[in-house]
Amino acid sequence: MDIFGDLLMGLSIAITPINLLYLLVGAMVGMVVGVIPGFGPSAGLAILLPVTFGMDPTGAIMMLAAIYYGAMYGGTITSILLNTPGESATVASTFDGYPLAKKGRAGPALVMQAVASFVGGTVGVILITILAPMFAQVSRSFGPPEYFLLAMMGMLTLVVMIGNHWKLGLISALIGFALGTVGVDLESGQGRYTFGSAELIGGIYFIPIAIGLFGLGELFYSFYVGMHRSGSGGIVQYDKEAEFWPSAHDWLSTRMTMVRGSILGFVVGVIPGAGATIASLMAYSTERSMSKTPEKFGTGEMAGLVAPETANNAASSGAMIPLLTLGIPGSASTAVLLAAFMLWGLRPGPLFMEQNPELAWGLIASMYLGNMILLAVSIFAIPLFVQIIKVPYRLLGPVIVVICALGTFSVHASFIETYLMFAAGIVGFFMRLYGFSPAALVLALVLGPLAEEALRQTLTISRGSGMIFLERPASRWIIAVTIMLVIVLPLMSRFGKSAGEAEKAGT
Amino acid sequence: MFNIESNWMRSGFFAALIAVPVGLAAPAVAQDVYPSADQKLDWTIAFGPGGGNDLMARTIIDILTKYELYPGNISPQNRAGGSGAVGWGYLYGQSGNPYGISTTSGSFVTTPLQADTPWEPSDFTPVALLATDDLVLVVNGSSDIQNIEDFIAAAKAKPMNIGGTGTVNVDFIVPSLFAEKAGFEFEYVSFNSMADQTTALLSEALDAMVGNPGEILGMIDSGDLRPLVYSGDSVPEGLEGVPTMAELGYDIGVSMPRGLILPPDVPVEAQEWWIATMKKVVETPEWTTYIKTNTLTPTVIYGEDFRTFLTETKDGFEKVLRSVGAID
Repeated sequence: MDIFGDLLMGLSIAITPINLLYLLVGAMVGMVVGVIPGFGPSAGLAILLPVTFGMDPTGAIMMLAAIYYGAMYGGTITSILLNTPGESATVASTFDGYPLAKKGRAGPALVMQAVASFVGGTVGVILITILAPMFAQVSRSFGPPEYFLLAMMGMLTLVVMIGNHWKLGLISALIGFALGTVGVDLESGQGRYTFGSAELIGGIYFIPIAIGLFGLGELFYSFYVGMHRSGSGGIVQYDKEAEFWPSAHDWLSTRMTMVRGSILGFVVGVIPGAGATIASLMAYSTERSMSKTPEKFGTGEMAGLVAPETANNAASSGAMIPLLTLGIPGSASTAVLLAAFMLWGLRPGPLFMEQNPELAWGLIASMYLGNMILLAVSIFAIPLFVQIIKVPYRLLGPVIVVICALGTFSVHASFIETYLMFAAGIVGFFMRLYGFSPAALVLALVLGPLAEEALRQTLTISRGSGMIFLERPASRWIIAVTIMLVIVLPLMSRFGKSAGEAEKAGT
Repeated sequence: MFNIESNWMRSGFFAALIAVPVGLAAPAVAQDVYPSADQKLDWTIAFGPGGGNDLMARTIIDILTKYELYPGNISPQNRAGGSGAVGWGYLYGQSGNPYGISTTSGSFVTTPLQADTPWEPSDFTPVALLATDDLVLVVNGSSDIQNIEDFIAAAKAKPMNIGGTGTVNVDFIVPSLFAEKAGFEFEYVSFNSMADQTTALLSEALDAMVGNPGEILGMIDSGDLRPLVYSGDSVPEGLEGVPTMAELGYDIGVSMPRGLILPPDVPVEAQEWWIATMKKVVETPEWTTYIKTNTLTPTVIYGEDFRTFLTETKDGFEKVLRSVGAID
């Protein structure tokens, strides 16, 4: 297949003025959607889908896709400034993004996240261009056994996240697993801990929990430590004159982080169901275990922000692969895109790219342009966004409460979920106070049900035999990679550390 | 969202503006005629935007508006939550009000079986069943099984793994009833979504699966999936040559109802008005396109027959689910 010919053809379609306009609108809307906590790209896409009726399908799908990946840019802004992830894929960006802002480096953090997003997004699109046909084969070999093993691999992230207070971290994770069991059991159809409530049939969704724990929990804690009394100044000290552009050290120290984050994110994104959230968490923990200074992670390390940011953008590109090559949506957002394809009478499947080359390659080409637009928009808009943190906390606090509540409610228009968010906020405050790990709780809530379902499906298929994991080639690969990660990562970090110490000793 | 009526000052103002000319033109008895142009139709969509139920509701509303079949304003509201329990619960609370309306889908039957809802499907005033969601049984395109006879023979020799979405769902009921009639046993593997089960089948973890044809026609065309049998009365476009279960002599008589309902105990004039109107709606080219693009089976039943259909479907589901212990 002549990839460059196809790409040029796609570019000629994407670059028409009207399509560029759609792209710009999509990118801006995506950023705004990303900035609003809880209002994720999937909800944004679903609500804006009807607006695109009557538009030309190519332009409309370019615009919808731009909303999807644009949200990854916007979602980090609140992660950094308010410690409130704008959407689930930017949860990991709070770990070091917010401490950076607290240290007065909000400007460089925001610039670096925009650059990291651009690098991740662009590397992702380049990889789509080259690898689309090949990855179709990879995602095709994933069944329940592979999903289970993948979730197990994700649990490794948990070990990293639990950190130093392992007992408290473990309890946090167990609470997450426990919450994950609520809802109708997929296998038997029986309700678990639903108490007859129709609202709980679908289980506890992790978005309200994450918004509550991170957004409200942090807010309550800030009030607890008396931040609202510090009359002038916002949450964090930020002086625009002092520092806006990242330092040379920021750039140099994160070069390889961007490469690693992009590739890891893309690979995880391609695997249906894994998605940008897991990609960003995995990238964070990988970066931490490979770092010479893992103890600095969580205190405002630039690599700790760059890793999840490149990964979530690369993953959102990667998720387009199963969508375009198999018609399988890898995430909630790509599921809405799939619905959009079907609304226009397009038939997603393995023949989609062959039958609709203009649309498929136009979309891919538009993603190159879209990422450039988003980089420019982000950097120009940063001075505007950082004004948020100049607002005194006593004024900002109530606004955050409203945004959290509105954001949660907008996802499913559910009061129960909104109450859950407030409850999680109170729990989050105490977790913060006593050193528990909200991140471990959220990750366990995401991975727990995934692992349980996949394991039970696997064992139903194999009639209870665990050998199925060794019989399937794809499973064997994942087991090998997991074992490698378990053995190699700590070793590497040890080598890294001793190399760092040797350097210090030498000077 | 932009509900002008909720602003009493503005609506009062408009009403005053409109009332003068209308008052001159129309006699006072217009008040008693259903539907009144002054009354807003409160259209409940029991699911979020973008889903199957939402799409059907908005398609009908577009047709009603385009052909000027409904005289007043229609206000569609997404009241999602609890697999439809919230939205239909809201409609149930409007007993007797002819200006409340909603569309049904599979959950209309299955949610009351799973959760403690105060309502049953047959409590509502039935307007019409418009279409049914039917399923196609497929195997991997690289499988040795070429047709349904091969499949039944192979399944009798060694129980197969068949995937579907959810357990308290037509995806489980259809293969269960089919297997019972055709005389084979199988393991049902439950998935959260069509995408998950398709991946599982392509990765050769599953032997077969059931699904709505619309989502997998692309893969059937490309030869990645092979269709064996269809559960509806007649096969949709794209599945020509595939036998139906009834043609094989294994008629299971179960499908997911997509219809239209009013709150309980609505005056019979309102029910009749909607039946007459829906007869016009299903004749429009827009409706034909909707049925085709979503590969639904156009099964049209009106009024009390729809209530009977709902009761029978619910009883059928209950029996199968109880026999496997999914509900008690």
